[in-house]
Amino acid sequence: MDEYALGVLTNVGLFSFLALSAYLLLVAGEMSFGQQAFFGVGAYAAGIGTAMWGWPLPVAALAAMALGAAAAWLVGLPTLRLRGLYFAMATLAAAEMFRILFELFHYQRTIDGELVGPDGTQGFRGIRWVLERGIEQETFLAAVWALVLLVLGAFALVERTRLGATLRMVGEDPELAAVLGVNVARVKLGVAAAAGALAALGGALYAHHNTYVEPRNFDIMLGVHSLAYALIGGLGTALGPLLGVALDIGLLESTRVFQGYRMIVFGGLVALLLIVRPRGLLDELTVNRVAAALRRRRTA
Amino acid sequence: MLRTLLAAALAALAAPALGQRLAADVDCKPTKHDLVYDCRIALTEAASRKPVAGADVSVGADMPSMPMAHNVRPVKAKPAKEPGLYTARLELEMYGEWALKLNVRSPVRDVIVKKIDFRERP
Repeated sequence: MDEYALGVLTNVGLFSFLALSAYLLLVAGEMSFGQQAFFGVGAYAAGIGTAMWGWPLPVAALAAMALGAAAAWLVGLPTLRLRGLYFAMATLAAAEMFRILFELFHYQRTIDGELVGPDGTQGFRGIRWVLERGIEQETFLAAVWALVLLVLGAFALVERTRLGATLRMVGEDPELAAVLGVNVARVKLGVAAAAGALAALGGALYAHHNTYVEPRNFDIMLGVHSLAYALIGGLGTALGPLLGVALDIGLLESTRVFQGYRMIVFGGLVALLLIVRPRGLLDELTVNRVAAALRRRRTA
Repeated sequence: MLRTLLAAALAALAAPALGQRLAADVDCKPTKHDLVYDCRIALTEAASRKPVAGADVSVGADMPSMPMAHNVRPVKAKPAKEPGLYTARLELEMYGEWALKLNVRSPVRDVIVKKIDFRERP
């Protein structure tokens, strides 16, 4: 496989974490434009862990997830009191605050005669853990996709449990869920923290794939795309966001013939898709129909 | 797949770091075509500043605010006459600041990122 194809497949895997993070909140009934902030927190935290403190990547990624969850929990505390568009706007504002914090963040150390670490708007270079261990791109790609599959497996398990049903109920009818004894605020806060941890894991891996991150990587554009992944792919199953990322990146790559105008073409195609399928390609109805068909075939 | 993952896990636990750091100076000049640039890359060892000849280098580019939306498909850099010097032609999608990613596969594995502001000719 050539370097370009490897890069595209790795990106699909990396952005899947962000897509699943946005999907988790959408299932719980909240539309966040701010998941890119936790992706950034994960990227910076894991980068500092490996490049500056000499931690192995798995340890740094776990720490990044914990920090991402804590940051999302803190953002969720005030913002989850809001509903709908107000919550969306609040998450966007919070994400911009994080981006500005990254711009103001200077923390560098000399390692092997070279300054390493976050340098404000100049970004964070030298996140070389993967390179220094001689890990090939193919191996990194396999590791990223193994983690994506692990997360998908966890989603599939949760969907079958009482917790999964509670999440869907909180998302679809929070008043009814509250009447039935569900602590809606606590569930949503837990979901926000889990979504933050997922986004941070994606960010941690992204920083190590790219070796370089900067505050502008985590601006509104990434937030819009992360939401689009889940909305295009569909809200019926966790496979939806993955389909969304593959379509998003696939469409962007296949419209290269339009050069600089391809974002306009891409935006038009996405708008068209959402008019025809407002809850995405794999929406709840489609997933239920497929599941029923499979059940019928099994019993026949 | 399992073997690859096992290799990754072992690598994750292995303490020693491999390889040496490289550095690069990149100078991109516009061609007669809009948004097409000829880039000259001087590749050196970061510590000694000795030129690195015979390297396998490819050059890609991303717009930092749109990392997966606006990017340039990596092109292989060709060695120039002088040792350590390479050239690559980049076809950008728009003017603005781009992060050039030099992916060095041999003689050592390294990735160097350089930010360059490509502006429209007056």
